[in-house]
Amino acid sequence: MISFENVSKIFKPDAFGPPFEALTQTSFEIKPQKVTGFLGANGAGKSTSMKIMMDFIRPTKGKVIYHQQLGKNKNEIFENIGFLPERPFFYPNLTGEDFLFFMGSLVKVSKPDIKKSIEYWAQIFKIDYALKRKIATYSKGMLQRLGFMATLLHKPELIILDEPLSGLDPLGRKDLKEIINQVSNEGKTVFFSSHIVSDIEEVSQEVIFIKQGRVIFNDSLNELYEKNKLKTYEIHVGSESKIELSTPCQQEVFSHGHLKLFVEKEFKNKLIEELIQKNIEISSLSLKKVTLEEIFYRTEK
Amino acid sequence: MNSIKVVAWYTFKELFKSRILINTFFLGCALITICYIASEFTYGTPGRIAIDFGLGTLTLSSVGISLFLGVSLISKELETKTVYMVISRPVTRTQFLIGKIIGFLTILFLNLFILSTMALLTFKSYGGVISPLIIWNIFYTFLESCLVLLIVVLFTLNTNNTVSVISALVLYIVGHSIDPRTIMYFVEGRPGFEALIKFYHFVLPGFYKFNIKDFVIYKQELEIDYLISSLSYGLIYSLFVLFLIIFVFNKKDIA
Repeated sequence: MISFENVSKIFKPDAFGPPFEALTQTSFEIKPQKVTGFLGANGAGKSTSMKIMMDFIRPTKGKVIYHQQLGKNKNEIFENIGFLPERPFFYPNLTGEDFLFFMGSLVKVSKPDIKKSIEYWAQIFKIDYALKRKIATYSKGMLQRLGFMATLLHKPELIILDEPLSGLDPLGRKDLKEIINQVSNEGKTVFFSSHIVSDIEEVSQEVIFIKQGRVIFNDSLNELYEKNKLKTYEIHVGSESKIELSTPCQQEVFSHGHLKLFVEKEFKNKLIEELIQKNIEISSLSLKKVTLEEIFYRTEK
Repeated sequence: MNSIKVVAWYTFKELFKSRILINTFFLGCALITICYIASEFTYGTPGRIAIDFGLGTLTLSSVGISLFLGVSLISKELETKTVYMVISRPVTRTQFLIGKIIGFLTILFLNLFILSTMALLTFKSYGGVISPLIIWNIFYTFLESCLVLLIVVLFTLNTNNTVSVISALVLYIVGHSIDPRTIMYFVEGRPGFEALIKFYHFVLPGFYKFNIKDFVIYKQELEIDYLISSLSYGLIYSLFVLFLIIFVFNKKDIA
């Protein structure tokens, strides 16, 4: 849907201060009809990339390519994008409903269609009870829901969300994740940033990992797991305490009467034989699964 | 065009709901009260006092609104990032700016309309006759406030709100103080000062051109040529500042 081609961005905070490079030769692609998580630590360049994508700031070098599916000119492209900024703050004297009508009118949706859309999404976002209230009275979570709802009113093809889950309570996070899954199932493309690895892992099919302004990887989660697959096996055995074994392995007592053994592939058979010889009960054997969090921390190091 | 209309309408709605016009109404009531009290101390000229107070209040209130509310018109959008929600839609930055300014000017116009109606009614109740020059004066107050608004918005795109208000206020005061009709005495015989004044007239806004209160209150007549040239000056200068704002805003990184 959108491609970054060697995009660099240099900021100069003031006339006398030194410039700093927020993005360095960044290239990645948002694939259509997928949920893509944009992962990176604070200050990695996620929001800067999104702002360049939305033309709020211009790249110092490189270019952003909007695929033809989105439209031919800027107007058409932006009609097909729904964007939610980080820490949304809206016009405090307008009611939630006013704000949604405002946003809907800007994308040339007719008033009856906006109304229908509001009725539909307000139930899903569980914010219908507050739409007649001034936005000044909304909590952070409600603002997040209202902002997310505004991005969906015009049925955009691409939904870009900057840290949509930050600062929400567990229930709010669960609700918004479900909505991301719902719009993805409807064939929409979702691109969202987060520094919380488990959020990305839970919702995304694709992941772009950015570190200090450089893209470290841009792959599907499955491929990422495949590339980082561990060659360590996890064996659960029945034992009260650690066992003396001649085969090299790591041991971890994880619950009363159970022991975890981690063994490299080449020693797996030898360890099993040794366990059988010592008459120790093997309850399970599996290839240790790598988590995105582990890959993330490994890359961060 | 539709986008400008939508932005203008919701800017108006947001400002209207902030109850700013209630303050205008109270200001109008205060004006009537002051005129009533002042009339007790004037001998034979209560109408003149009423129109003097009335036009003065109009200027204070309109320029005050332009300066102190106008300063946050765009800067608050940039600070709180509400602008992101609008310009991430098919709305150009120019459309957004023009819409915001039109929405604000509509509130300014309403404020002026309410206050001038109250001022003129008071003036009439003291036996005054509403002349076309009074209407010109009201129109000039609006024009002057537009220019103050545009100047303060231009400053906010480059610096913080406090500096913007101070700079715009200084320009406003100096712009009223360089009236060639009153300044000639100081300028004569000081070529450096004369050159400076000429430069100022050429580049910076001459707000004195919109001040015709003395003519309204005392002389009650003014050449139409002067009125039209001041009007043209105000419109051209406002357009010039508007283009500058659009240019700067379009070039600006909204980070």
